[in-house]
Amino acid sequence: MRKGGELVKMTLKDLPQQDLFGPGNAGCRGCGAAIAGRQAMKVLGARTIITMPASCMATLSGLNQKTAWSIPFYHTLFEIAPAVSSGIRASLEAQGIKDVNVVSWAGDAGTADIGFQSLSGAAERNDNIIHVCYDNEMYMNTGGQSGSQTPIYAMTSNQQKGKRTGKKDMLKIMVAHDVGYVASATISHPLDLAEKFKKAAAHDGFSYIHIMAPCYRGWNIPTDQSVATARKAVESGFWELYEVVDGKKTRTHEPSFIPVSEYLMSQGRFKNLSTEQVKEIQDAVNSHFGRKEAK
Amino acid sequence: MAKKLPIVPSAKAGSMAEAPSGIIWREQHPVIGDKCNQCLECIMFCPEGALKLENGKVAVSLELCNGCGTCAFECPQKAITMVLEFSGDRGIFPLKEGKS
Amino acid sequence: MSLTLLTGSEAAAYGAMLARIEVLAYYPITPAFPAMERMNKFIEDGEMNTRFIRAEGDHSALAAALGASLAGSRTFTVTNSQGLLYMTEVAYHTAGLRQPVVMAVANRALSAPHSRFPEQGDAISQDASGWIQLFCENNQEVLDTILQAFKVGETCRLPVMVNYEGYIQSHTQEEVDVPQLAKVDAFLPFTRVSALDINNPQGINTVTSPDLYMDYKYHQNDAMSQALEVINNVAAEFSRDFGRDWSGVIEGYRMDDADHALVTMGSTVSDGRIVIDALRAEGKKAGLVKIRSFRPFPAAAMRAMLKKVQYVTVIDKNIVFGSGGALGNETKAALYGHLSIPVKNYICGLGGRDFRPDELKQVMALSEERAKQTTEYEWFGL
Ligand SMILES: Cc1ncc(C[n+]2csc(CCOP(=O)(O)OP(=O)(O)O)c2C)c(N)n1
Repeated sequence: MRKGGELVKMTLKDLPQQDLFGPGNAGCRGCGAAIAGRQAMKVLGARTIITMPASCMATLSGLNQKTAWSIPFYHTLFEIAPAVSSGIRASLEAQGIKDVNVVSWAGDAGTADIGFQSLSGAAERNDNIIHVCYDNEMYMNTGGQSGSQTPIYAMTSNQQKGKRTGKKDMLKIMVAHDVGYVASATISHPLDLAEKFKKAAAHDGFSYIHIMAPCYRGWNIPTDQSVATARKAVESGFWELYEVVDGKKTRTHEPSFIPVSEYLMSQGRFKNLSTEQVKEIQDAVNSHFGRKEAK
Repeated sequence: MAKKLPIVPSAKAGSMAEAPSGIIWREQHPVIGDKCNQCLECIMFCPEGALKLENGKVAVSLELCNGCGTCAFECPQKAITMVLEFSGDRGIFPLKEGKS
Repeated sequence: MSLTLLTGSEAAAYGAMLARIEVLAYYPITPAFPAMERMNKFIEDGEMNTRFIRAEGDHSALAAALGASLAGSRTFTVTNSQGLLYMTEVAYHTAGLRQPVVMAVANRALSAPHSRFPEQGDAISQDASGWIQLFCENNQEVLDTILQAFKVGETCRLPVMVNYEGYIQSHTQEEVDVPQLAKVDAFLPFTRVSALDINNPQGINTVTSPDLYMDYKYHQNDAMSQALEVINNVAAEFSRDFGRDWSGVIEGYRMDDADHALVTMGSTVSDGRIVIDALRAEGKKAGLVKIRSFRPFPAAAMRAMLKKVQYVTVIDKNIVFGSGGALGNETKAALYGHLSIPVKNYICGLGGRDFRPDELKQVMALSEERAKQTTEYEWFGL
């Protein structure tokens, strides 16, 4: 934010009180996805149309003739949120409406797996939309199965001994699409998230924001730990907060590098991890950040 | 007779707040104490939008809160206490305020 | 009136251009792609003020058209066969959301085995999708039906498929009168309906409980039933404005005193007219029933037309496995309990197998013979 030509950091007091999403939503307790939605809407504002594929978030967003959204909201088919957003943008352009954010907001499956084709298509066309992945690292709406965003060794409902392969790096994949704005975010850092949504909204072209959004059921954590768990992910270096503007990467928060075990071992889904597996993950984090070893 | 419905299956904007579901199964709710300094963090972390700044004070809407406890855990001042909804050893929920 | 030589693909493209579509989304497939390319040329040449979404797949193409429609635009797409199958999920969804997207389908056989040739099996695969399905017998009808399709769809709030056969129509030139834009504007005014309206927000397609789902489906089906009359009215209006009468949902050709009715749809209709004329010249009382609207199916109108006939021959360029031809089945269902006439259903011309007028004549003769022995559907041309 700029005040009198000088760059001033946004504070929570700068965000509007009004909730364009949230009140009455049917989410589980402590739903990370719902927290992400509320935080993002504080920045996106009322001139926003949101499309959302089959997912927890689409389910908790409405029932029959009631919805928790105060902006135009459309619960789409599972694979098509970015494609319908492209269509909406084209229609708005045809109508001469220029001041509207068109956002497709999908879970990790609706983004990285079944929704990947339409996401990649919209990104390659550089359509003027924002795609948001709220990532709970599982298919929670269908009971918590593994997907490409499930991290290695995490236990899921269909891989009870833990996932064998690692998490597909969607941020790198989206950067490879050569789009103007790509960022990671999470719910424990709402101002960081807010700044990123501001930039994405201002960017004329395709933007991608990937939000780590813990889920107490899938991750097997207490209901009051979604935000705390996200914070541990960030501070351990497990989830890096950064943005890539026109190909240039900037880290937006320097982690304090708490041991990654503090993040992992506070979650039931990692309770079976061996010391070697924890070390393997710690080594991967260290090497990512170019560090010798954790404190 | 088929019910009268909109042509496009649709819902009234913001209408879920009129009949929130969370309170049906809430087990505890926050009580905001004097230590609150209106830093607003709890408001940002509430999944339900149940916390609001009202007349300079953070207030909780018990219509919306589903009792996750995130606000209490995150409060930097430790100003929020979670209070159980039920009483007795088998946990009896009050159906309406004051009745059980 | 100025006649131009146009392929069915070009006729479809002209239809979309004259309808002033705001958003076009498609994914290429043979034999539909020439219609797409023609529209792109119109756009590039500035003859069409349309936003084009270069979708990365058919599924997304219809999704993008749907998104634009929900936001209030008149939208159009073109596909066939595998593309249509791939779109199926979105097709049902579009109908359930009551969006009047118009889609041209250059009918082609379905894989496997792989085929690029004409057949109506692709359209039949969507018979329960909730799309109005119109079939055209020639390229003039393709253009005219696309104009009518927007009017029908926007009146009923239902999506419309306009079918013409691959190659037989899509790649064959015929004389077509391209109507004047001003006349089309008068026939086809546009009223914007935005379900996703930034100034009037609402939530679309929330999870729906057993309380309401069935009622939504009742209304959707009701709209489909009412479409029979709307299609007729729009065809009558079109005939008044443009002097071409495509007679709505069904047409009887030389049916007044006919004792043998040939029932079919698509390009076989125009062959049928030749055959009926030839049979009439031989003194035979043959007539033709053209099904223009397969969905909704004009059962009552068909019964009225077939009241006095002794033989019914239904030609299907599709096969519903284990059941027969789709049009044959509809015909039998329409007559059942009302008229006891044997209905002979022939499966013909699958996957581009040639099916000529002389063969059609042969089938009609065969049908009268076989009707005495069996009322089961049979294959012709193996
Ligand atoms: C075509 C299709 N396949 C499967 C499903 C079933 N389905 C609905 S939501 C879902 C998982 C969603 O996972 P994700 O995108 O990660 O969101 P989450 O529910 O975890 O928030 C699945 C498999 C569907 N609705 N549509």
